[in-house]
Order: sequence, then structure tokens, then C-alpha cells
Amino acid sequence: MKNPFSGAVAIIQFPGVNCEYETASAVRSIGLMAEIFRWNEDPALLDECTGIILPGGFSYQDRIRAGVVAAKDRIMDKVSDLAEKGRPVLGICNGAQVLVESGLIPGIHWEKVDLALAPNVMSDREGYYCNWVHLRREKSHCLWTGRYLEGEVIPIPIAHAEGRFVTEDASVLREMKDNAQIALRYCDAAGTIVESFPVNPNGSVENIAGVSNRAGNVLAMMPHPERATWLRQVPEDLGDRWAKKRCDAIGRAERMEDEGPGRNFFAALRKGNGA
Amino acid sequence: MRCTLEDDPTVNTTVDLMVRLKVMDLVTQTAWITFTEKLGFAGTLRGMVHYWYWGMEAEGKDRETIIGEIDRVIRFDGAFTNQNKHRYRLCAGGAAHRGDLDLDKDYPVMDTQGSPPDLNGLVAFDCLVREKRPAREIGFTERLNSRLKGVAVSDLRYGEVWRLILKAPAGDAALEEVERMLVSRSRREGLLLNPHYQRYKIMTVRSFGDPWLPSPSARMEG
Repeated sequence: MKNPFSGAVAIIQFPGVNCEYETASAVRSIGLMAEIFRWNEDPALLDECTGIILPGGFSYQDRIRAGVVAAKDRIMDKVSDLAEKGRPVLGICNGAQVLVESGLIPGIHWEKVDLALAPNVMSDREGYYCNWVHLRREKSHCLWTGRYLEGEVIPIPIAHAEGRFVTEDASVLREMKDNAQIALRYCDAAGTIVESFPVNPNGSVENIAGVSNRAGNVLAMMPHPERATWLRQVPEDLGDRWAKKRCDAIGRAERMEDEGPGRNFFAALRKGNGA
Repeated sequence: MRCTLEDDPTVNTTVDLMVRLKVMDLVTQTAWITFTEKLGFAGTLRGMVHYWYWGMEAEGKDRETIIGEIDRVIRFDGAFTNQNKHRYRLCAGGAAHRGDLDLDKDYPVMDTQGSPPDLNGLVAFDCLVREKRPAREIGFTERLNSRLKGVAVSDLRYGEVWRLILKAPAGDAALEEVERMLVSRSRREGLLLNPHYQRYKIMTVRSFGDPWLPSPSARMEG
């Protein structure tokens, strides 16, 4: 029987995730195959996949701590093994929390937990925060951001309560910078790094929104690129070139299906693209 | 900001509030399964209990007034307890107490015999986990003070307490085992806290009736 994941991007479906189908649609939008992989299927089926995405949601209902129970799952043995061999792995939101709790990110010491995605710290509220924000693509050798220009500003939605990148180990932060692992930072619409809320929506150290491993094939990012894959998903009031394109497309349904600002994260998986 | 009552003579006391689910505790069930089936503690872990903990400094006319007034508020304020699903125990200065959480009869998760395991041959620890940068305490202090009459609270402290019951050698070896279970240092080690934003304190439990209070054997990390 043919392995359904052969040549496809595997979207890992832990119990409680809720973005797996839209993530698969985003992958398919660039002409690649995507299949949902249930967490308790045979891990060996992943051997022939072309990439792995851990989607957003609430794996195991965020019990104990977001991402930690999934990080201990047997399937993560296989994800860790393939990631170490260079297979592209992307964690989005809850998927990022799983990658951090499993020590694949930052991966300076493989499988050692060197970071946390802690509860948001915001000036006038606490808990869950959902909005469109801006990212700046930093100088990095991350495969997943390779289709964006260095310094490019990317509007994108976030939706989380625990997205504050933090580490107690100053040497880890220094190594992440030295290795160019900080792939994405929160910025304003002009690309300026502003440390305060709402530009930095969760209090992340150094405005970090996405961190790759040292090799650049694994990326943990809190924002949701699958929710910015089509132009129709872009709000009209963003005040940037994407909003203008969106406004221009009003009344022209076919234009609404054009690419949105997040699609290039997935397009990086096309052969010949990326870093 | 510390709230004070200025008109009459007052006493100050520390108040501890412990809250536990009286419906099925799925978080603890999940932790149990993760420990025993994924992290290799099946031969060691014998029971678990999970509490939410609130500590605070309170000022009022006397201890009875303080605990009575705080009890009145928390029973009707869903921020701390929901009577449909929680039991709680409120202690003032380690003496007076209110609430329906009876620690003597507070059975651990996965006690299949239906009675608390005898501590003979077992060791038990209460592990307090708190965030290094607490946020929710500020809003809760204001909320509590806005509802209290004749009592003021300050220095609110929130955390979770995991009671771990182990078959393990006593002393430092047991404490090391608890730390290995508690602190997520790698993908294959630790579950209950991430040391990059949380801190912990481990306390030895002498009997199942122990109220949650720091014991001489407590040690603090983070």
C-alpha cells in the first residue's frame, strides 16, 4: 500500500490542534501535496515526507503547559530524528510551543529545553491576545523565511496567550544572535523594532517572533502564516501595500484568491527555493 | 500598593487558600499518563494531587473576622472558586480554617484502592510552582479588596501545588527524583514546569492531613 505521506508535507494532528486543515490548504496553495498525520500513526510513515508542520491549536488542551505534553509524545522522536537530518520542520503557534518544549528550538543543545514560550505580558491586559501584527524578516539562514527579503515587513495574525519567548540563560540568547537564529521579530508597519505593546504583542525578549535551529531547517513561529495565505484574509485597514491590494480586489472575486503576505513561508518548501 | 485599615486596632495574618477540583481532574490524569507511560516513572510514581494555591497577607479586626470575610467573598467570586467544581481550604495563620477541602480525605489521582495510600514505604512531596514574573496577582488583589469589607489583603501570591507520592528512597535521592519529574530540562526529562519562566519549591509531606505550609525541609530553586 502506498505511503500517503510519500512526497507530501505532513501536518501533525495532535489531539486538540485546530489549524491542521487550513495549514494543509495553505501548503496546497503553492502546488505541494499535504496530508494530515494523526499523532498515533506509525512514525515510520514520516520517513518519506518532504517536510513537517506542527500546526496551531491547543494540543492536549494545553494541559499542564502549552505544548509540553505533545513534546513528550513518541511521534516527536521521529520529528526530532528527521529534523536533525535536515528535514524542514515548521511549528506554528502551538506547534512552536511544542518545538520549544521539546528542545528542537533553539536546538543549540539538541533536545535541551533552552527557551520558554511564557504567558503574554501586555501593558493593559492579560491572557489571550488576537490581532494582526508586523514581522521583520531578519538576517538568517532559515529555510522557511528564505523567500522574503532581509528587512521585509510581513503583516500577519497572531492569536495566543503564551507566546513570550524568554530564556534564563544569557548565553543561549547570545548564541541565537551569533548564529543568526532569530529569524523574525515584531516591528511596526515601517519595520522599526518597538519593544512596547502592541508592536511587541506579548513581551518577547528582543521582540522575537520566530526562532530557527542552528541549521535553519526548523522554525518555531508564534504568528499564523496560514491565516495570511490568501489576499482575502488581509484586513482592509492595515494601512500598508497589502491592504491596498486587498481594497483594489474588492468586487473582483478572482483577485481575492491571490497570494497573501504569509504564503511565502510555505512557498519556501518548493524545490530550488529557500535559503 | 499595600492596603491598610486605619480606624481600629487590627491584626495581620497570612492566609493560604488551596483549591482542588471535585470533578474529574483531567490535567492530573494527563500528567499521570505522561509520567508513567512516556517518561518512565511507572515504577516510581504512586499518586498525584493537583491544587491551585493563593497566599496573601491580610489585615483586619481579628483572625476570625479576616477568614470569615475572605471566605464570604471567595465563595461568591468565581475568580477563586466555582462551587460546582471546586473544593477549597482557607487557612489563617496555620490555625483557623474554612472550606470543604478535607486534606485527610483528599485522595490522590490514580489511587485505585479507593482510599489514600499508606505513607509507609512511600514518600510524598508538595511542589509549589510559581511564575517568575507574576501578572495575574495585581488584578486579583484589586478585585478582592474591592469586595472585602473591614479586611484588606496585599502581597497576593498565586501558584500551583503538585503533590507527588513516590516509591523511592528517602532523603536527597527522593528529592532528586522529584526534581527530575518536575523540571523540564530536556525533551525526555521533567514535565511540570519550565525553568525559564517558572520557579519551584519542594516540601516534604509528613502525612496526608498536612495543610500546605512550608516545612523545614523545603528548598527553593529559581
